[in-house]
Amino acid sequence: MRGPLFLFLAALYAGIPAPSRALPPGTAAPLGADFIVTAAPVYVPLAEMHGRERFPHGAQLLLVHDGKATPLVAGFAETADADISFDAKRVLFAGKRTTGDPWQIWELTLQDGSVRNVIQTEGDAERPFYLPGGRMVWAQRTASGFRIESAPDGHPPKVPFLNPTAGPGILPLTYIQTSTFPATILADGRILFESGYPLGEGATPELYVVYADGSGVRALRPFQGRARWGGSELASGDVVFTQGSSLARFTSSLLQQTPIAAPHAEYAGAIQETASGAWLLSARRTGEAHDAIDRWIPGAAALETVLAQRGDDLVEPVLLAPRTPPRRFPSDLHPWKYANLLALDSRLSLEGNLKQTPASVRLETQDPNGRVQVNGTAPVAPDGSFFVKVPENRPIRFLVLDRNGAVLRRERGWFWSRGGEQRACIGCHTGPALSPENRTPEVLLRTTTPVDLTGDSPLTATRTDVQKGNTR
Amino acid sequence: MNRIGPGGRGTSSHRIATLAALIAALLIVAPWRGQTVHAATAPQTGEVLGYASPVELLFSPDGTRLYVLCQDSGEVRVLNATTYAPIQTIVVGHVPRGFFLTPDGNRLFVANSWDDTISVIDTRALKVAATWHAGMEPSSVVEDSAGKYLYVANRISNDVAVLDAHTGSEVKRLAAGRGTSYMTLSPDGQRIYVTHVYPNPAPLGSQPESEITVIDTASAEVINRIPLPSIAGAFHIAVTSNSRLGVVAELHPKNLLPMTQVEQGWAFEDTLTLFGSGVQNKTVEVPLDDLDSYAVRPFGVAITPDGSHLYVSSGGSDIVTAINLPHLQRYVHTQHGPIVYNLAAGAHYVVARIPVGKDPRGMAVSADGRRLLVANRLDDTISVIDTPTSKVVTTIALAPSRRLWTENFGLQMFSEMTIATPGQRRCPACHIDERHRNAKRMKLTPQQQVEALRRGQQAFYTASYSFHGGMGCTNCHIDTTMDGMRWNFEPAGLGRNIVENMLLEDIRNTTPYDWSGINPNLPTQGGPRTEQFIWRSQNFDVRTLADLSAYINSLPARPNRWRLPNGELTPSQQRGKQIFDRTVDDFGKPIPLANRCNFCHSGPLGTDHRKVDVGTRGPNDDSGLFVTAQLTNIALTAPYLHDGSAATLEEIWTIYNPHDQHGRTNDLTKDQLNDLINYLRTR
Repeated sequence: MRGPLFLFLAALYAGIPAPSRALPPGTAAPLGADFIVTAAPVYVPLAEMHGRERFPHGAQLLLVHDGKATPLVAGFAETADADISFDAKRVLFAGKRTTGDPWQIWELTLQDGSVRNVIQTEGDAERPFYLPGGRMVWAQRTASGFRIESAPDGHPPKVPFLNPTAGPGILPLTYIQTSTFPATILADGRILFESGYPLGEGATPELYVVYADGSGVRALRPFQGRARWGGSELASGDVVFTQGSSLARFTSSLLQQTPIAAPHAEYAGAIQETASGAWLLSARRTGEAHDAIDRWIPGAAALETVLAQRGDDLVEPVLLAPRTPPRRFPSDLHPWKYANLLALDSRLSLEGNLKQTPASVRLETQDPNGRVQVNGTAPVAPDGSFFVKVPENRPIRFLVLDRNGAVLRRERGWFWSRGGEQRACIGCHTGPALSPENRTPEVLLRTTTPVDLTGDSPLTATRTDVQKGNTR
Repeated sequence: MNRIGPGGRGTSSHRIATLAALIAALLIVAPWRGQTVHAATAPQTGEVLGYASPVELLFSPDGTRLYVLCQDSGEVRVLNATTYAPIQTIVVGHVPRGFFLTPDGNRLFVANSWDDTISVIDTRALKVAATWHAGMEPSSVVEDSAGKYLYVANRISNDVAVLDAHTGSEVKRLAAGRGTSYMTLSPDGQRIYVTHVYPNPAPLGSQPESEITVIDTASAEVINRIPLPSIAGAFHIAVTSNSRLGVVAELHPKNLLPMTQVEQGWAFEDTLTLFGSGVQNKTVEVPLDDLDSYAVRPFGVAITPDGSHLYVSSGGSDIVTAINLPHLQRYVHTQHGPIVYNLAAGAHYVVARIPVGKDPRGMAVSADGRRLLVANRLDDTISVIDTPTSKVVTTIALAPSRRLWTENFGLQMFSEMTIATPGQRRCPACHIDERHRNAKRMKLTPQQQVEALRRGQQAFYTASYSFHGGMGCTNCHIDTTMDGMRWNFEPAGLGRNIVENMLLEDIRNTTPYDWSGINPNLPTQGGPRTEQFIWRSQNFDVRTLADLSAYINSLPARPNRWRLPNGELTPSQQRGKQIFDRTVDDFGKPIPLANRCNFCHSGPLGTDHRKVDVGTRGPNDDSGLFVTAQLTNIALTAPYLHDGSAATLEEIWTIYNPHDQHGRTNDLTKDQLNDLINYLRTR
């Protein structure tokens, strides 16, 4: 397909004035780089997490060059969620041919303006991101909310190194009963995603990470009581996100977030760092009705408007420039229908260490209807360690019990293990700042065979169904 | 930032020529940082341009000279300490590892680790005035303040030799820890602190532990051994000018945990231990790493004269960490319980992470504390850091060393590029095979081979390929050897199939690799397997993997210290060889072929490359079949057997061979067993 973008780019590269869609009067300032932005009359950033529409009155992707915006593609009723390929030659986006269509994933080739449907799915598919190694991820609407899925992006990698996550089909990456949305791909190859806190049942947006094969899910940092969303990563490795309507960041050196002293405004969603170190962001200043795209040099006293458009919120800016691909994640999942989990010391927690050693640990799972099941219990060694086999690809959580079976602590949310995953953790909610002690866990000195809590073993303690909420 | 070439600041025409060459070199080889000097100097026929590999730096007492110890070229380069212009190059022994300048600046002692010698350099003449014998693999040298004794740390003999500082004659040996390597004289001259790159022998399954051996210079005796719990290898020590606080750079492994991940310090932590009266004579271990990034393999430590800042070089991360020392001390004093497991602790004392060159090692602080020089071993540069701003302001490029081309690494260079994947029925890397076929047809010039080996060396020492840059090859293979520990890799099962680490030298013809023999060649060992189960992140590209394999294949065995200089065997070793080769036991019964030592441990490397069950299968091993271990420098590589269960060579037969499954040995007397072991040590 050859659309206005092709004409625009052809004109641009030919050095003649580009045809431009007539825009409402707005403020524009040259940025020195092209970028793509989503324009929408109404933008409700977290609406989908609660089952509503982000863009209830539609949205359109705009290509912005020298402060002038033109539609990125023609022939779509709605477009949003642009992600630029690492070589800046292609654009993934979510689009609807007609208003009644579901959102689907499309790819625009910038050189010739052609557009293709990358993958056809039932229900809305949106927020696509390129992964290294010829794959992509997106959020797929399912009966229980949005789920992050992965599939080949249609462009075989130049070096097809071993990657068991590769394959022709769709690979679900999240396995809980609530919505998950990719926010960005971190330089280390992990997918930063948004979901509610506690994971799997909470409503407060929080940031989590998962490897590209769906394993190793965890919170990026401990929950701090307020919504965090719209994460993006700077060249320094810092993750900048929106909290409420402010900006904050995680740095590699700190467990807790640190505020960003940005000019007073309501910020919305992920920022983009330009080559000069300035940030491109979406902000709504006091008294204004809509979000505009601003440039901010960290530390500066004021925002500089790059693009504003009357009647539209301008959100999700992405720079049209080559970038370093994230590291490809080499999956090490084994060909199993279960996972093995090792906890080094279940007494430890950021919420306070248990004074008594648990006697056992109970595994609860959640069925597709949200019903809670008890899969069984396993003994906890005197040093707090336990080693269990758990079912694959479904919500699970642990409760540690005393010798009388009373609950000493329960995990706040749900997580999952991929089939074939062998995962080890230190304790319950110990956070990423705690490094493990170099000590063989006592449970492995007793046996290297995990206690089967898959619910499939006759040796497992009686499996019982519990009505949702009864265990809380 | 300025970059100063080997010509320094000589004549203006020289400067212009150097600048022109530098610009041309940058244009040609800009992506390969650190090679600019080579592009500027063409090799002559029959010679190649080798690498200097600076490892240690010293300022002369008057601050006019900079001495640079170059490991690969076996030289001391003398530079003008202000302009960094070369003054002299002094050839010393093989693989020099440490040096020491006397307080008057007149004598420079160099520890030549592969020659077992000390070069004594007269700094007025800038010549080697004498060469003294030392112990096994001397790695550092220190003279006491009185100028009476010279102390030499010997890595292989695990001791400190005390030499007469005037004659070089040995006065005595002081027992130290395993892998005795680096020494620091306290500023008050009363103590010498000694560190070790390997953990001391410990019971099976226990945490590794090293020590700081403390020598009293007045008595020339060991007066203390400060334990370093959980530490596998310790490197440089710095001591504050008031001698109250010492800081040692070290590796804190997590080898007792199943290696399910690298993140969160799961495989290694990079730490410092503080000791001395400044911390109430306790030892306090603090992390250098962050939550999402690491300061891998801390090596050099330097403290500014005013005690305000501490600098630590991290060879695997190519950074120098700047630490506010008072902040660190204050933080340590306010904490209760272990600090080392808190990866957020560094926020209280780390003030900068300063990117430098590849594999930064030794450092030197100028007398005014305003300049910190860092030896970047693997790109032949020296970074000059302006300490007030924590910025690199100059990078000094060292000239290459010229050497005659005698080796031919090319035969091995691309000979092993077929990559198999454990458990894969089909080769997933056909593209790589295609590259391999192309690569085999490549003909590299000697110079290209040297450069390829250097790239392989850089790949070996960097941590940049692992998740969050958490570790590199040499984390476990210290200076291409081993670490003396056992590891539990995740695919082997949690708590199962735990294996001991192996020496990497002279392994070219010892395929297959891994105790299980699962890896038929080095590219397989270092390719997908390493990517999935060790780095847990995107691995080497094809060329780098080829270069890395060629580098490892090129590693020679270090000199065997148990052989006589003339190559002959001692009477005990001769008797041991007869036992090794015997066909009949002490009772006159024939020994079955497969039960003779020289059947499995055959050939020059002592391996038949086959998997054999010698009765060592443990309860957590899936199989009793293990590849016959090569015997190269086996005296160095304790513990022994696949799982490291034998702490010594003796234990292999006295404890772990009850049924003669590991060779017929139960008929041997104690003396015979000693003879056998004495012979094995010569392999």
